[in-house]
Amino acid sequence: MKVLYSWLCDHLEAPLPPAEMAERLTAAGLHVELRTPEGQDEVWEVDVTTNRPDCLSHRGLAREAAACGAGQLKGFSVRVAEQGPPVHQLALVTVEDEAGCPRYCARVIRGVQVGPSPAWLAERLAACGIRPINNVVDATNYVLLDLGHPLHAFDLARLAGSAIRVRAARPGEAITTLDGETRRLVAEDLVIADKEKPVALAGIMGGANSEITPATQDVLLESAYFDPLRVRRTRKRLGLDTEASRRFERGADRSLARVAVDAAAALILQVAGGEVASGVLDTKPHLPEPAVVPLDLRRLWAFAGCHIPEEFVQQLLAALEIPVRWEGMVGHCQVPWHRVDLQLAEDLYEEVLRHWGYDRIPSQLPPSPGAPGERRGSFPITDRARDVAQGLGLAEAITYAFVPEEVEQAFASSPLVQRGPLLRLLNPLSTRMAVMRRTLWSGLAEAAAANLRRGADRVQLFEVGRVFFAQGAQSWEEERLAALLAGEVGPWDQRRALDFYDLKGLAEALAEGLGLGELTVESLDGPFAPGLGAVWYRDGEVVGVLGQLHATIQKLFDAPKPLWALELVLDPTAAPPVPTFAELARHPAVVADLTVRHPVTLPYAQLVATLWAVAPGILERVEPLVRYRGEQVGPEEVKTTLRLTYRHPERSLTQEEVNAAHFALMDQLAAHLGVSFS
Amino acid sequence: MWPELAQLKADFDQALASAGTDPQRLEEVRIRFAGRKSGALRLLEEQLKRLPKEEKPTFGKELNQLKAYIEEQLAVALAQVRQARGVGEQVDVTLPGRKPALGALHPVTLVRREIEDIFLRMGYSVADGPEVEDDWHNFEALNIPPDHPARDTQDTFYLPGGLLLRTHTSPVQIRTMEAFRPPIRVIIPGRVYRRDSDLRHSPMFHQVEGLVVDEGVSFAHLKATLEAFVHRLFDPSLQVRLRPSFFPFTEPSAEVDITCVLCRGGGCGVCSGSGWVEILGAGMVDPRVFRAVGIDPVRYTGFAFGLGLDRVAMLKYRIPDLRLLFSGDERLLRQFPGGLAR
Repeated sequence: MKVLYSWLCDHLEAPLPPAEMAERLTAAGLHVELRTPEGQDEVWEVDVTTNRPDCLSHRGLAREAAACGAGQLKGFSVRVAEQGPPVHQLALVTVEDEAGCPRYCARVIRGVQVGPSPAWLAERLAACGIRPINNVVDATNYVLLDLGHPLHAFDLARLAGSAIRVRAARPGEAITTLDGETRRLVAEDLVIADKEKPVALAGIMGGANSEITPATQDVLLESAYFDPLRVRRTRKRLGLDTEASRRFERGADRSLARVAVDAAAALILQVAGGEVASGVLDTKPHLPEPAVVPLDLRRLWAFAGCHIPEEFVQQLLAALEIPVRWEGMVGHCQVPWHRVDLQLAEDLYEEVLRHWGYDRIPSQLPPSPGAPGERRGSFPITDRARDVAQGLGLAEAITYAFVPEEVEQAFASSPLVQRGPLLRLLNPLSTRMAVMRRTLWSGLAEAAAANLRRGADRVQLFEVGRVFFAQGAQSWEEERLAALLAGEVGPWDQRRALDFYDLKGLAEALAEGLGLGELTVESLDGPFAPGLGAVWYRDGEVVGVLGQLHATIQKLFDAPKPLWALELVLDPTAAPPVPTFAELARHPAVVADLTVRHPVTLPYAQLVATLWAVAPGILERVEPLVRYRGEQVGPEEVKTTLRLTYRHPERSLTQEEVNAAHFALMDQLAAHLGVSFS
Repeated sequence: MWPELAQLKADFDQALASAGTDPQRLEEVRIRFAGRKSGALRLLEEQLKRLPKEEKPTFGKELNQLKAYIEEQLAVALAQVRQARGVGEQVDVTLPGRKPALGALHPVTLVRREIEDIFLRMGYSVADGPEVEDDWHNFEALNIPPDHPARDTQDTFYLPGGLLLRTHTSPVQIRTMEAFRPPIRVIIPGRVYRRDSDLRHSPMFHQVEGLVVDEGVSFAHLKATLEAFVHRLFDPSLQVRLRPSFFPFTEPSAEVDITCVLCRGGGCGVCSGSGWVEILGAGMVDPRVFRAVGIDPVRYTGFAFGLGLDRVAMLKYRIPDLRLLFSGDERLLRQFPGGLAR
């Protein structure tokens, strides 16, 4: 909010100079963000938190300044010279919706001369960011900025039946507001109406049909208190943020309604002439008893962690205009109507602490808890995944969890995306962030493509994060690890393009590092280039997918090179087993290579599984050594050279023994699979 | 074996043995047996040409074997000489090695772990919760009822079924207090979402929340905890300043500034010339929050604090633009391979 230093001083005896006053207000939580010189004066930009609507005025801020010791608050009273017939003969106020409008005060001023405001008034408004309009409207705005209470002036002649009816809007009703917009209303909206039609949106903005014009002679001045929720809902629905709505929705001062209407009437008399009809139309002249909140000094001291002198507390409460009745150490504080934020003892502790000064409260560490802390939830598994991926040379990216729907759909054939329905945002920022991701690939692929377009010759990214699924009206989340590779691999003198086995090797290392245990693999078309994709299962459940993303996906991301992607499910509930020591071999191994010529249709896994099934007990390990396709074999054939390691746990093997076992194994393989060895 | 060949082999073995590791004598042995013009092998090859046809294959085969043997033995002997004199094949040590890639953790992960370590050592646990939340945990239980003005400052992404993307990590405070009774000491790192995007705001960012609930927890405890944390995270010489502020779930509330880590208080672009940067929000837990989770606010007090991990990462690593953090640009991501020395 913009305030004028000189205007604050109008409310203070012996005010401190601007720099000191601004410093004290800031220290007390009313942050003076900007001070701009304005002639001899200063305009301040004050950041008023949403809980302090009472500070949205010069008098309110002056009260705070006084409580900060930046001056003494002057008394405030207003006297209106009344003339002519009583007001109830000139206008009629009925509140039909009392919940929406607990208090409505009105005065009538007849015979005003509408015209420009005097310079001092117009200048003060302009300095605070409000455009001067005419003397009557300006007077209401002046009182708003001075005391904080929003007012509205109607042209009485334009109110049908000289009547004010505060009521809910009727279905199909519309109003053209002062800004020239016609707005359709709903039943929840609270309106000020005359006998026939709405003439204002309660607490937000007046209607064009009753506004003050140069021809206006008689004015009905409204000073009411409206329900914060009603004002807020209508304001939000219509997107109509005004000086009035800002104050009403945070909570106006209902006791101030009468004072404000008097102050505005007196000011109109001063700047626009006319005569104020005698009396006030007030639907609630007697307010209920204000709330009382106890402040126990001993609890305050324990809460603060230090002693704050009683006298300080007493003086502060007096400066804040909070009447107190002391009973020993407990002060029963009567909450003034302007302090909507004071409801509990802790709210009073805050008053004391912020005025005492946070910097004057000592620092003292809490006693040691004794028990060590632990990492809960998914952090153990997700951080392990990060460490393993980092250890394998990948760089961690963090990408947005909301993605364009067409990107999400591009991956729809991945079994990990098919785990549940899509979760759509109801109010996305843009179509680029429309749905919650079901795979981490969307963000990673975009990042990888951007890196390639920038000229990167290799991309090796990973992300650990959540994916989201709808489930009826609920949702569920799953932790994932994904990696995206593109471009080249190998050291500087052995550079080559990535291939499937680079990706699979990475996936195997990640799975091993995460302790995923025994996995089975099958080829999968899904979102992958033909023949270059795979899916991993554990106990029949999909736990991972990997492959080269299909050319259409590569094109969707505008990636200049193929994208290789893998994604694994992370299960926070499955702690990897603690490995136990395995006996180290004490006798030498005998290694024998075996070249198997077989049809390409025979998968390696089946070859090796068969081999193990027929192998002698001394076979310890089987690894692939060479894979050959070419002139030496038929077009539908491959040669796979395996390295077999034989070892006996208790003694050294002889060459003859191994030869016999090896040849027997070859015979068995040939018999089971029809393969040859050459 | 042909007698001539057997004799030659024996002569060679003897000559090689007597040459030892003398390079001069080894060279003589090489010339005598394997010299290209008149070495013994060369002469035998001439002899092969003159042999009768039927004898050629066997003599030729044995000669080739002997030739391979002599060449290999000479090579071995020469290698031993070089080794004895300390002369190896000279590599260019200035060529780069075949370096395996160092991986890198994201700057946000690095500062998160650093912060977790600090608090774990102070006896806090690390907890997490769902990123898709309901209104109760994200707002109502935190004393932000429907239509509360504070909701305006946390523009929210909504999902079907009354769900939303959490706007802060504070709902996990509620979940923690629903699941555990005091004493509670916990920090909660995580991703949060706000419907806001410009130079200084990203619709997704990261926070760490802290919560302590026990008997006798005071504002002085909060202050000391934040100071200890800031001093450990940045530098013990930094000043910490608490300014009164407002959050619906703490009462009283404070915004916490530290001496600008770049200019040390002198004033620079990062701190807008003020010498201070705001990094934390904090306060004493509002009793309304305790009541929402069934904790007795007369018996227990507590404090809570929260900070933006992204902002800390930017300050710590001097990253100028928040959006860079989520760009996936590998040139940025690989700048922090080891994090910070501890």
